[in-house]
Amino acid sequence: MVFPPMQPAADATVAREHTYHDGSSRTVMVSEREIAYPQGRLIISRTDLDGIITHANDAFVELSGYAREDLIGQPHAILRHPDMPRAAFKDLWTTVAAGKKWHGYVKNLCKDGSHYWVYATAVPNVRGGKIVGYTSVRRQPSRAKIAEITATYKEWLAKEGSPA
Amino acid sequence: MSLNFLIAPDFAPERFAGWHMLNTVLQKRSGESLHLLTPASAAEQAELIAKGDVAAVYANPFDAASMIRDAGYIAVARPLGKSDEMVMATRADSPLNSIEGLKPGCKIALTDNKDVKLIGLRLLEAADLTEADVQWQLVESYQAAARMTIKGEVDIGFFLAEAYNSLSRLTKTQLKPLMESKLADITHVLLIHPRIGASLDKLRDALLGLAGTADGQPALDELGIEQGFEAMSVEDGEFMIDLMDTLLS
Repeated sequence: MVFPPMQPAADATVAREHTYHDGSSRTVMVSEREIAYPQGRLIISRTDLDGIITHANDAFVELSGYAREDLIGQPHAILRHPDMPRAAFKDLWTTVAAGKKWHGYVKNLCKDGSHYWVYATAVPNVRGGKIVGYTSVRRQPSRAKIAEITATYKEWLAKEGSPA
Repeated sequence: MSLNFLIAPDFAPERFAGWHMLNTVLQKRSGESLHLLTPASAAEQAELIAKGDVAAVYANPFDAASMIRDAGYIAVARPLGKSDEMVMATRADSPLNSIEGLKPGCKIALTDNKDVKLIGLRLLEAADLTEADVQWQLVESYQAAARMTIKGEVDIGFFLAEAYNSLSRLTKTQLKPLMESKLADITHVLLIHPRIGASLDKLRDALLGLAGTADGQPALDELGIEQGFEAMSVEDGEFMIDLMDTLLS
């Protein structure tokens, strides 16, 4: 996978290497800075069957830091933060490809290396009995749930052999 | 024969005249005879739809999903610049300053508007509250929800944003909004049933052509839909159903 370049902020000083499911890799710059979830909003995106972004609403664009034209046509993994275990996304794609709804907590990477937490729901778009793409809607998670899942994801990452 | 045109029962009372104005101008422009139905509750709406003789519905997005998938309606238009939003408010002198201050066992007043409850429940997740954590106080109107909130009989009230904004100034000074949704992508939709044949195109075209016209714009203004309606494709309707599905749990 090839992504548009990040634009790391001054505090995004840690370089982290990602390897994606297709074997490609990318070095991302991350900071510890968390962007607060915008109260009362939903982040909405759609992808095709290959996970390529076909629709991004305004909240998605604003929070990611990318321009809409930078996002459309890119793999949804452009948002993948290195603190997210591969197992979480494997579960997501396996679930929706089977025609089911998936829920989970996700730490997303912004263009400048900061991050934001979401509670995500993904559903398959079934048209005429066939899955033609996927819709994901993200909403604000509670701080307690973020604390719980942060610990869980660290364990998963350790098992996967990646640094947390 | 008259075609029944049903308006979902969640509009603010001051919009009532606007719906009659719209009905009149749609009849004039489409050449179809329309009979306006304004059920007082979600249950009454469901009864009318089940009878199978409602041609067009201005539906809230929650109900639109089943009307499209189960009852065979087609989404043809939606209001521009008028998304369905909700407000959570507490009494003005409440110590609560954010929804994170709400605890399990809290009391919330709400009407039978399912969209408002659904959106509110999703927003309450940020405060770690589920439906079972709340003591729900179902009331007949947003005015009643406001009264209960002001009296302190409930911790907060759930309001359709338009209804909240149309409360009297005196009422609003006794309330404090804790959260206002800004969902933007979820709107009411105009559904038409294909069983009416060629009348479907006439009604849709009449609706889409209202903005900026001498007879259409006053009705739109009265409804608070100043920018008029935009056309929806079948895929637009399906996408909205997918969106609502993500909010269901």
